[in-house]
Amino acid sequence: MKIKFLPSILLFGALAVAVPLTGGEGTGNPFAQAKFVPDISLILDSSFVIRDLEDPWFSDLFLPGFSHAGPGVRALELDEANVGKGFNLNYAELSLASVVDPYFDLFAVFHLSPEGFEIEEAYFSTRRLPAGLQIKGGKFLSQFGRINGQHSHYWDFGSPPLVQSAFFGGGGLAELGLRLSWVAPLNIFLQFAVEILQGHNEMSFGHQGFDAGGISIATVDGPGLVVATVKSSFDLGNLTVLAGISSASGKSRWPADLENDNGASAFAGTAAVFGADITFKYLFDSIRYLSLQTEVMGRTSRGDRYGLEVVNGWSVCEQRSRQEGFYSQAVARLNKRLRFGARLDLIWKNDLSFAGMTQALPKNLMRYTAMGEWNPTEFSRLRLQYTYDRSRYEESGGIWRQRPVHELTLQVNITIGAHGAHAF
Amino acid sequence: MNMKKLILILAAFALAFPLIGAKLQVVTTYPYIAGLTEQVGGDRVDVRALAGGQWDPHTIMAKPSFIAKLRRADLLIINGAQLEIGWLPPLLNQASNPKVNVGARGLLDLSRSVKMLDVPDNVSRAHGDIHPDGNPHYYLDPHNMLPLAEAIAAKLSELDGTGVQAYRKNLADFRVQWNAKLEEWDRRLADLKGAMVIEYHQNYDYLLRRYGIELLGTIELLPGIPPTSRHIQELEAKIDNASVRFILQDVYNPDEASRHIATKHHIRLIKLPHDIGAVREADGLFSLFEEIIRRLTHD
Ligand SMILES: [Zn+2]
Repeated sequence: MKIKFLPSILLFGALAVAVPLTGGEGTGNPFAQAKFVPDISLILDSSFVIRDLEDPWFSDLFLPGFSHAGPGVRALELDEANVGKGFNLNYAELSLASVVDPYFDLFAVFHLSPEGFEIEEAYFSTRRLPAGLQIKGGKFLSQFGRINGQHSHYWDFGSPPLVQSAFFGGGGLAELGLRLSWVAPLNIFLQFAVEILQGHNEMSFGHQGFDAGGISIATVDGPGLVVATVKSSFDLGNLTVLAGISSASGKSRWPADLENDNGASAFAGTAAVFGADITFKYLFDSIRYLSLQTEVMGRTSRGDRYGLEVVNGWSVCEQRSRQEGFYSQAVARLNKRLRFGARLDLIWKNDLSFAGMTQALPKNLMRYTAMGEWNPTEFSRLRLQYTYDRSRYEESGGIWRQRPVHELTLQVNITIGAHGAHAF
Repeated sequence: MNMKKLILILAAFALAFPLIGAKLQVVTTYPYIAGLTEQVGGDRVDVRALAGGQWDPHTIMAKPSFIAKLRRADLLIINGAQLEIGWLPPLLNQASNPKVNVGARGLLDLSRSVKMLDVPDNVSRAHGDIHPDGNPHYYLDPHNMLPLAEAIAAKLSELDGTGVQAYRKNLADFRVQWNAKLEEWDRRLADLKGAMVIEYHQNYDYLLRRYGIELLGTIELLPGIPPTSRHIQELEAKIDNASVRFILQDVYNPDEASRHIATKHHIRLIKLPHDIGAVREADGLFSLFEEIIRRLTHD
């Protein structure tokens, strides 16, 4: 949902109006509204990237098989941050939050980046429903799995896990819709939730229809995606365990410009993503902890593949895929300022078939990541991250060739304004 | 299914599900509030504290199990003055309990019942992670416990009208016991009037000011920001021109800098509990203050 600059100008215009109001009280303005200004914060995220591959070559690499169409997904589509060599302004994130009235809270998070303005989240949540129920509505990050619900500045690494970006894209599963959750009245944390979503995720649940040689595939009318999650957590002394299972299933459209993009194919069908996650966090004292986190994800899809080939012309056939992977990470906080972490990413299953014919796709896509952080305060962070990426491939004439990439990223993340509370 | 199995299953359920009784379910953010609530509430209330007393109260890990506790609470009592700002708000949102949400009758902010010290005129994080509503560690002045107990008694009476008599009696009993202790503690701390101390963080300011103890400076550079070697040098220069009696160190911050200064300048280093459970001896509300005063006056 990227729009160009007009909305950002409007937004800053609105803030410019709000700010002088805050000076109202001292001058005895009887209409001063300063006390009602919502909690505002601005987070800047920028980086410097060193990589052993020139940008145009890097952006031509594929993650084989991770799309319903074409040979793969171009690396650039998987990455939202730290894309180019040298300096990157990843985003300036503006967030607003406030109690609305006795019945609702409102949250909004806007990503401003050189590419434009993006409403990352804008939703209300209820505050008065009985019996542990809560409804959330608007655009929000789905609570699927462990990572997806977190904003990127809460991540322990500068990049999302490989399974996360392969199945949901760099921006994650952020959708329009409604969420109903229920916390059970138990001594341990047990939460059930269902999300009814529009289904616009470009990696797994697209909605856009397309034309394929006189056949017209209709756009999916929303809502086209259902997410269900169960999460539970308990404490054993200083150890906290959080585990969850999630599923997302819905209609899927992957349009392509078949007439002009040689070799591309389009897809219409259904997809389902399943996830299981577990986190162990052990507190040694108020400052030091060790956290181990693993998330397994799998996706199956089936439907029709539409293609246009030079020799055979238009073709339609059944397409099926089954892909599975996980990430595992360990993060240790040594003192108020230092944190270190390592992560292993692996996609071990990568099956794709057209009309029952298995396609020769690389399996065991791997990536290794290590990071060290220096946090002068809770409001500023410097992160040095090394990535050895063996998941990206070159393709020519149906032959896949791995192109390992070494990458070093220095990332700066700075927050001003309202004090953000840390989720677990 | 045989009888044994059935009993086992029922027992498991009984453990997992809370006992639904007539008792008012009270959740407090810190253990000292739980201790105080038990004094006033007696056996009419079930009290649980979220944070452990050994942890840094500013940076409590926001565990999901806290959501489960908040979800079932009839009353949530917080320290306030933004001490919980870094961990409580998202938990409250997720618990979505209309009884204790912000603005509800079942949320009691104790900081409203005492006079706050050091409320900054203007706030900037150039001065560290400061407390914009004033120093929130007001509860470490034992004289502040009585107004806090009164606020809790008033709130319990409001939510549980049939218990008014009991709460009034419990409060009166507590007042008598506490006043007796205050008299004793005041007497024992009178000798420290005018003494000069150093603290790691401004945890004990209310206690120091109550008893006329003077603060030379803090070990940490700024609130929440660890000391730099230059800051320690500056502090040591000040120590040379003053006669410092103690260095007060909490149990959760690193104590290397305090130990270094203590050894080098022959100053006594005292580890003080900041809440119930911070040290083994401080296992209740009375023993928390008893232990603080014992450690301050013990030679
Ligand atoms: Zn403090």
